[in-house]
Amino acid sequence: MQRTAEQIEKDLLRPIFRSSPRYWIAVGISSSLVLAGVYAFGYQLYNGIGVWGINSPVFWALDITNFVFWIGISHAGTLISAILRLCNATWRRPVTRCAEAITVFSIIIGGLVPLCHIGRPWLAYWMIPYPNQRCIWPNFRSPLAWDFFAISTYLTGSTTFLYLPTIPDFAAIRDASKGLRKRIYSMLALGWQGTPRQWQRLEIAMHIMAIAIVPVAVSVHTIVSWDFSMTLVPMWHSSIFGPYFVIGAIFSGIAALILAMALLRRFLHLEEYLKPVHFNNLGKLLLTMSLLWFYFTFAERLTTWYGNTPAEMTVFWETINQHFAPMFWIMVLCNFVIPLPLLAIKKLRTIIGTAIASGAIVVGMWIERFLIIVPSLDHKFLSYSQGSYRPTWVEDTLMAASFGMMALLYLLFAKFVPMISIWEMKVGLQPHGGGIVTTEVPGAKRHGLVLEGPLPTDVEE
Amino acid sequence: MKVLYGLYSDPETAQVAVNALNEAASELKFDPRQIVIVSGEPHEGYEFADSHLTSLPYRWAVLGGAIGALSGFLLTTLSQRAYPIVTGGMPITPPWTNGIIIYELTMLGAILMTLIVLLCGARLPNFKGVITDPEIWMGKILVGVIDPPKDSPSELEKCLLEAGATEVKQLNSTSR
Amino acid sequence: MPHKWAMVVDLDRCTGCEACVVACHAENNIPTVGEDQAARGRAMHWIRVERYWEGDFPNPRVRFQPVLCQQCDDAPCEPVCPTYASYHTSEGLNQQAYNRCIGTRFCANACPYNVRVFNFFDPKWDKPLHLQLNPDVSLRSVGIMEKCNFCAQRIKSAEIQAEAETREMKDGEFTTACAQSCASEALVFGDLNDPQSKVSRLASSNRSTKLLGELGTKPNVTYLQRGT
Repeated sequence: MQRTAEQIEKDLLRPIFRSSPRYWIAVGISSSLVLAGVYAFGYQLYNGIGVWGINSPVFWALDITNFVFWIGISHAGTLISAILRLCNATWRRPVTRCAEAITVFSIIIGGLVPLCHIGRPWLAYWMIPYPNQRCIWPNFRSPLAWDFFAISTYLTGSTTFLYLPTIPDFAAIRDASKGLRKRIYSMLALGWQGTPRQWQRLEIAMHIMAIAIVPVAVSVHTIVSWDFSMTLVPMWHSSIFGPYFVIGAIFSGIAALILAMALLRRFLHLEEYLKPVHFNNLGKLLLTMSLLWFYFTFAERLTTWYGNTPAEMTVFWETINQHFAPMFWIMVLCNFVIPLPLLAIKKLRTIIGTAIASGAIVVGMWIERFLIIVPSLDHKFLSYSQGSYRPTWVEDTLMAASFGMMALLYLLFAKFVPMISIWEMKVGLQPHGGGIVTTEVPGAKRHGLVLEGPLPTDVEE
Repeated sequence: MKVLYGLYSDPETAQVAVNALNEAASELKFDPRQIVIVSGEPHEGYEFADSHLTSLPYRWAVLGGAIGALSGFLLTTLSQRAYPIVTGGMPITPPWTNGIIIYELTMLGAILMTLIVLLCGARLPNFKGVITDPEIWMGKILVGVIDPPKDSPSELEKCLLEAGATEVKQLNSTSR
Repeated sequence: MPHKWAMVVDLDRCTGCEACVVACHAENNIPTVGEDQAARGRAMHWIRVERYWEGDFPNPRVRFQPVLCQQCDDAPCEPVCPTYASYHTSEGLNQQAYNRCIGTRFCANACPYNVRVFNFFDPKWDKPLHLQLNPDVSLRSVGIMEKCNFCAQRIKSAEIQAEAETREMKDGEFTTACAQSCASEALVFGDLNDPQSKVSRLASSNRSTKLLGELGTKPNVTYLQRGT
């Protein structure tokens, strides 16, 4: 069904002006999780980080698992928005903003984790190279210093990438509201009008940002992986970590995006916009990532097993058939065995099918991060000083709070910003889809613009 | 500022209106630069929309990246040389690890420069007042004249209507 | 000639008495964490005596191996610290600057020997044991990583003394707390750059090995293997 611009405007602005009671209940639940996390963090600050389950030699556990997990989820927006934008794939239009929102919020949460996990969090600002008279300065040879720069750059880039295309939508809300709401959205819209000059500049800026954000995203998760591979710890010191983590991040990111889209479609009544074709296409991407994940996991394990060095084999067997074996095989089930049929068989690659696969993948990827960190730290070289790990309520609460924070930020975002980019949907309505014009009107020239491909309504569902 | 404008339902008629206004500019005594076009979405492929095509922002982005790279290099190398602390037998200024910081600052420089160039190029934030109409968000295109000449408003109106405006309106003061 | 501090551990002589552990605790103001925390793997021993059992009944044998910070030349724990808290001195020591440590615990993960200990809580000494604290060594608070630094306070104090008396330092003039307390003289500390020192002579023995030497950390603690 072809929609008009007016209809798009009404449908996508509706959640801004009206919310159901279910929405407020969801906000309430996620806020309580966040508050519980604040309490747990306060408890940790007061008593010392010993209230966690970490010990010698497992100095990193749930904290860094969550850090890598959330930074991994953040690769959703980058892939969808930037790469599909560069490839002129028009089906991405309804999906870009919810993907970019996931990216920004998960970077924020992932960036907060290192601040909370260090022994003296009140000194975290020493990572910033600021002039001072105490000779405090970051060590640029440390992977954690690289982390700081990478995540800051990625956060700046993603926030810019999210904010720029919302400017015209803020202007639309500004023009549709009154009073305080109008004033707030006027500020957010920066006085946007919609003159041709502004549109041109905005589109060029988006294009540059799309080109710039992809290398940044690749570098961010590579640098996060180098937190591990730059050490001599058995099964960490591997050159595969860089690409492995990037693939894993894109994998978990797309899964998170599909879950978010399924929920948005249901609760914001966006059935006309987030259609089965979107889930189908994302499902195909997810399938590719699942196969790639399996390839990397297999390659890493095979090389370890074949090499048969004692220290690495200790860790290897821990995950395959000893203490961590249940987690390992659940991970394989969640990341590969369950998603493969759901995503490969066209009949099963529906909204529900991809959503189930995505839920399994999010769980499986969290387990994967945990299994990279804890078994290796448990079993380093000297067998006398090997140990074990069990999380405490503080770590569990902080982890639950991170999920609550993600939900809360996303819910607030859905309330104040249209979840689907209104102006980009309208461009999709144009007869040429933003491409070549054939008309006799003087001044309407044929430009060498690329035809962007079939509109979503033309693609088989 | 005052604006007299017509609303057009598609880009073709908007282009006709822009052409007509350009022709009538000298006759009705206003500067072609007073013509304003506002829409709720970009319309590529039409002269009124594409007159601002430019490749300058790309060059600015590269410059921003170069500035970022230089500042990354200076930050790492100069501070490491100023306080040489040995760690792990590594050189004091290892190019590989400094390169990572330089790379991130390059990308940050390009991103920030793109943002600044956008804000300057699109004249944002706009403090002068916003010319807008609720209809543009429903797909209409606004083509009009800012501060129309006082002695010929009805002729201007006729010109706009003849080009195919669905309605002609006057905006007496712009909101912020 | 700058000093290069090193240690030799003679595994033939070590009886596993752990006097070195106690002496280190006393000298360096290391807290005891309590039974509960020790059971959770958070004991704070800058030097520990590892016990390895070989063989079965009726001939089980025990190997004792004191493990302390190896003061590696190419220490993997140093480059990973984001605030330069872990760094290398000109005398070959791997130093920990407590004030700079923000507690990321990256260095402890990077250390292959697991010799770094972390203050998970604020250390406490029950009265009157707080009177026993060594005034030459600063107290660390929660969130700070620490480890053996070859009793840097004793090194410094001996250096100051030698400079005040305008003479060179003599081998054996001072030693670390662990080496001082070792009844069987299994631990020997000294200057590797002094060819006449006991450490230099022992380190060149044909029994000398390095712990995890194949990793390339270039440790400065030499282990003399058991003859039997």
